[in-house]
Amino acid sequence: MSGPASNLGALERWLEGGAERLPGSGLDWLEAERSQALARVRAEGVPSARQEGWRYTGLKTLVEQPFVRYAEPVTGVEEEDLEEVLVPGLDAHRVVLVNGRFVAGLSSLGALPAGVRAGSLREILESDPDAVADRLTKVAGDGAHVFSALNTAGMDDGFVLLVGRGALVERPIELIHLSVGMDEPRVAQPRHLVALEEGAQASLIERYVSLGESLYCTNSVLELSLGRAAVLRHQRIQLESVNAFHITGVYLSQGADSRYLGVNIGLGAAWARTDLVVRFAGPHAECDLKGLYLAGDKQVMDHHLDIDHGVPQCSSRETFKGVLYGKGRAVFDGRIHVAVDAQKTDAQLSNKNLLLSRNAEIDTKPQLEIHADDVKCSHGTTVGQIDPQMLFYLRSRGISAPLARRMLCLGFAGEIIEALGPEPLREYVTEVVGRRLETAPLE
Amino acid sequence: MLSVKGLKATVEGKEILRGLDLEVGHGEIHAIMGPNGSGKSTFAHVLSGREGYEVTGGSALFEGEELLDLEPEERARKGLFLAFQYPVELPGVNNTYFLKSALNAIRTSRGEPELDAVSFMRLMREKLKVLHLDDSLLKRPVNFGFSGGEKKRNEIFQMALLEPKLAILDETDSGLDIDALRIVADGVNALRSPERSMIVVTHYQRLLDYIEPDYVHVLAKGRIIRSGGKELALELEEKGYGWIAGEEAA
Repeated sequence: MSGPASNLGALERWLEGGAERLPGSGLDWLEAERSQALARVRAEGVPSARQEGWRYTGLKTLVEQPFVRYAEPVTGVEEEDLEEVLVPGLDAHRVVLVNGRFVAGLSSLGALPAGVRAGSLREILESDPDAVADRLTKVAGDGAHVFSALNTAGMDDGFVLLVGRGALVERPIELIHLSVGMDEPRVAQPRHLVALEEGAQASLIERYVSLGESLYCTNSVLELSLGRAAVLRHQRIQLESVNAFHITGVYLSQGADSRYLGVNIGLGAAWARTDLVVRFAGPHAECDLKGLYLAGDKQVMDHHLDIDHGVPQCSSRETFKGVLYGKGRAVFDGRIHVAVDAQKTDAQLSNKNLLLSRNAEIDTKPQLEIHADDVKCSHGTTVGQIDPQMLFYLRSRGISAPLARRMLCLGFAGEIIEALGPEPLREYVTEVVGRRLETAPLE
Repeated sequence: MLSVKGLKATVEGKEILRGLDLEVGHGEIHAIMGPNGSGKSTFAHVLSGREGYEVTGGSALFEGEELLDLEPEERARKGLFLAFQYPVELPGVNNTYFLKSALNAIRTSRGEPELDAVSFMRLMREKLKVLHLDDSLLKRPVNFGFSGGEKKRNEIFQMALLEPKLAILDETDSGLDIDALRIVADGVNALRSPERSMIVVTHYQRLLDYIEPDYVHVLAKGRIIRSGGKELALELEEKGYGWIAGEEAA
């Protein structure tokens, strides 16, 4: 795949390696998308720090890593290995990907209601590509950033969920993306597609986890398409290895009257970049996007929201909170765009941050671009510290300083954590977050 | 139980306590009265270990151990309790979780096992009743959105739950109407025992009608300038602080 005059540098290797052909080779539409994406990433190359969306992120450390593509599926991960990363007590239809590839033996989808399809992208592309042809790569569209285009060029598996008209999936569907360290640092580029037809309802739990603390990279893309009056609850828990790189692009297209309830929890990885892109395609749609991120020593947590109110009478809520400690660094870039015809838009964006140490750093940048005149829009950001009076109050009751800090941080994050469900998932996240905060270095 | 000798403390370089002496025996209730700015609250805070105060001299032995060397949580675990004049609101921190964490921290340090959920709830319900507090309080964040009276009752409720050896009540009466004051005082009186001592810091004599002290001390300019029985409070009420301050000056 060595092309002429590529600006991709080391990232070129993400597309190399492995004799295995990419799924869907031979499908004209997919080949066209792939070569178009490839041409684009080679022309654009690695984003520079001069580009606004990448100003604070710092791609240098990522580009320096010699990641190569997984040549073949990883075998040898057993049920017992999976136990380590499961959420205790969580009842769900489970799909497991290991290093980007669907593993049927670890997945337990169980019986799905009529009109619902769930499984591997690779399989669908080989057996029934028409089922995904009108949406795959189309939801993300041309506005997707260069890493998403790289994913399009190199995707070789992922998760697909198609919920037919009026179908309702009551049990949550849990997507576990498990990474296992290899001798050589690898990059996985899973591509997920979730499409809910008119009036359909589902709940997706998307989790990124690892066995061990190895160095690897995940560059995932999730395309979400909601038909008229569809309802999707989507909870995303990023708990990659402490040494990992994590890039994700979530692209959501919302039809009229649809509702999206999203919670994003960013905890893991040494370097994580999350882009959440929302497009309203019809009126009266609602988008509620909540997020919590923790950034500790040697961690970079970068969130970019791009909410495009292109049609009238939609509402969006973006509520993100961050807790930073040690030398942790975070970026929050939230953009809301209201088009000239998008009257009666109701959009509110908030980003609040708690800094537990003087060495932690946050760059927060909310942007409202409003071109309509009859709208209700607001934004606000705060950066603060733990109130010493609150800390003293807890300590005066016998509670140790670390536990007191944990309680106060969880109190701060409570609004986001409370939105998680069902209960086992909420408890699991509370526990993971709590443990991290209790042992957080304060300098 | 508590032996304070020559305690001196400064706040932002300004000397507030200037050699305070106080002896509190087991089961005794001591009232500390004094005009604004006399150092009453500073004394309460220094004993409980609040940041922002620098101890420049003296000692405070609690059951023979120097309190001033301990972290606030260690003092609490040894049996010291401060009922705050202004209880702090903790948004997002569930009251039940808070109380359970506090009680278990103290129990563990005493070598007692942690309470299981059922016994804990039973204990809380029992104590709530004494303070005329509603169950719903347990589900709310600590002090968050509580009325002034609820906050003060919540302080005494915590005291009832944590069963300290020495409780310091810092202007617990301030901002309370007479009904709330009675409930708080009943709660405090229910906790009187030969093993438990209290220091009641107050500006007004009114509280002492409900919580009857064994001793009354008058604090002025960072020192105790007069000590007596409960009748001293009445005398103060009648003649005002100027009476003693004047006597001092004379």
